[in-house]
Amino acid sequence: MATTDIGPKNPAVKAGEAAFDYVDKRTGVKTGAKWFMFRNIPAETSWFQTLGFTAMALFGMQAITGIILAMYYKPDPNSAYQSIEVITNEVTWGWLVRGMHKWGASAMIVVVFLHLGRVFFFGSYKYPRELTWVTGAILLIMTMFMGLTGYLLVWDQKAYWATVVAVNITASAPIVGPYVADILRAGPEFGPETLSRFYSIHMLVIPGGMATFIGLHLFLISKLGIAEPPYSKRRMAVERAEEEARRAAENERLPYGRREVPAVAPATPEPQKVEGAS
Amino acid sequence: MNRGQQEYYKRDYAQAKLEGKPFFPYAVYKDLLIATLAIAAVIGMSIWHRVEIGEPVNPASTDFVPRPEWYFFFLFELLKIFEGQNALMPVIMATFIVPNILMVLLIATPFIDRGPERRIEKRPFALFTGIAVIAFLGYMTHLGAGSHGGVGTDGLPLTGLDEKGQAGAELFVANQCTACHNVAGVGAPGPGPDLTNLGSQGQTPEHWAEFIKAPPGGVMPAFTTFTPQQYDEIGTFLAGLGTQYK
Ligand code: HEC
Ligand code: HEM
Repeated sequence: MATTDIGPKNPAVKAGEAAFDYVDKRTGVKTGAKWFMFRNIPAETSWFQTLGFTAMALFGMQAITGIILAMYYKPDPNSAYQSIEVITNEVTWGWLVRGMHKWGASAMIVVVFLHLGRVFFFGSYKYPRELTWVTGAILLIMTMFMGLTGYLLVWDQKAYWATVVAVNITASAPIVGPYVADILRAGPEFGPETLSRFYSIHMLVIPGGMATFIGLHLFLISKLGIAEPPYSKRRMAVERAEEEARRAAENERLPYGRREVPAVAPATPEPQKVEGAS
Repeated sequence: MNRGQQEYYKRDYAQAKLEGKPFFPYAVYKDLLIATLAIAAVIGMSIWHRVEIGEPVNPASTDFVPRPEWYFFFLFELLKIFEGQNALMPVIMATFIVPNILMVLLIATPFIDRGPERRIEKRPFALFTGIAVIAFLGYMTHLGAGSHGGVGTDGLPLTGLDEKGQAGAELFVANQCTACHNVAGVGAPGPGPDLTNLGSQGQTPEHWAEFIKAPPGGVMPAFTTFTPQQYDEIGTFLAGLGTQYK
């Protein structure tokens, strides 16, 4: 024990601290990370409020397993199916990575929907978090499109025909439908180009969009702070106090007043509920 | 929320933060715990249920079931509801109008519900809508999960198949008619004509049975080896396409 003397004068620690300070002075990351990690959030947060982070973790897992799959996958109609077979049957742990990517996709949909449900039932999308919701809704739509575009890549019968149907459905949309379908198919028919197009959409276009929107989502969340659950003890206490104050004010006025009791007369500064304006 | 309610919320939230706890570790440990469980569940599932790979793509053969991933089942079910309906309820309702309305409503939720109340039991409309949407999506997904037959047990996305129609559909697929014909979006687009609405020509099953014994054009091969019963089945199937089987 006595030999490991890591005190403030230890040169390694000093050098490390200096390096951190150097970077921090120029970028503010240390300060920023400190702020992010140690900022206060409401005392009571629900377990349901972990679902957003879980969705993000699953997105990270999809990214990692996806990168590994991309090392073996060949986006060419003649070899795609075979490369999936190799991944599934020959590559070490390949079946596991592919399995995780496939199950992860389903899990992500489930978790994102649950997260949406919690935000909805908590009323967390209300002022000032409206735009957080909008970025989230776009993330949900992009997550679904990830599923759609990834499905084709296996290049087996089920996936192929389901995608044909999906693209035909797209083509039936008015005005832009046929153009979008042509873009997806890389032409008027399903062909060799279609697969590599789906591959690039699945690998680059949507993940890029999702990373951007997760960034925006997180920025808004940390800027606005995570919402307090509507049933937190603190909030219930405030509510009770306001109710009491209201009643007290009522009682006070009754003996004097033949006039009507005002509906809202809180002691805590609750603003009047004005109809119309918002 | 009006200006005053917004101010009230901000003040109340600032108070909540003031009395709050640091993000690390009080929220972080929960996040990490649940995320780890979720990833463990995914790994568990991929070990327990090994991924499979189906038949390789063969655009000419269609003995498959064109099933999407489960999270699109509700859209496929929607399609079936509107398929073959009257002009007021065309398929475009399912493919375009309903999904887009859902999407717009989803994005616009915070601008539609702007009240200050956050407790769900004081938001009856939101509560009702939420439960209705969950029930709708759940029910449609359940329908989609159960309906192997709905999408055609033989791979043709047809509904209304009775026993004869089913047998005829199986013959149709088994004999590679889809190599030249398209039925309801399945099969090659050519060289044979799209047969999706063949029944609307009003011909009898016997007519089509005779037709496939000796197609006049010369491109389509003659199918002369069916049993009389099979001719009856495939004739019935062809005569009902688009009218009974759609
Ligand atoms: C080699 C391609 C090919 C195959 C295989 C094929 N057809 Fe055809 N079919 C055609 C062509 C081309 C026509 C257009 C008219 C003609 O040549 O007689 C046609 C016409 C038809 C028609 C008449 C359509 C109309 O609107 O009048 C029917 C019904 C039909 N085929 C049914 C079948 C059935 C049932 C099978 C499977 C047992 C089948 N076809 C297999 C190429 C094919
Ligand atoms: C890929 C998908 C998504 C990811 C990675 C994600 C991530 C997160 C994270 C990490 C949080 C922090 C709080 C929490 O975990 O609950 C959060 C909050 C939030 N999310 Fe998402 N989210 C996604 C999808 C959505 C969707 C689909 C919606 C709604 C349409 C949404 C709306 C919100 C809102 C409004 C908040 C703020 C809630 C609050 O402050 O209490 N998000 N999100």
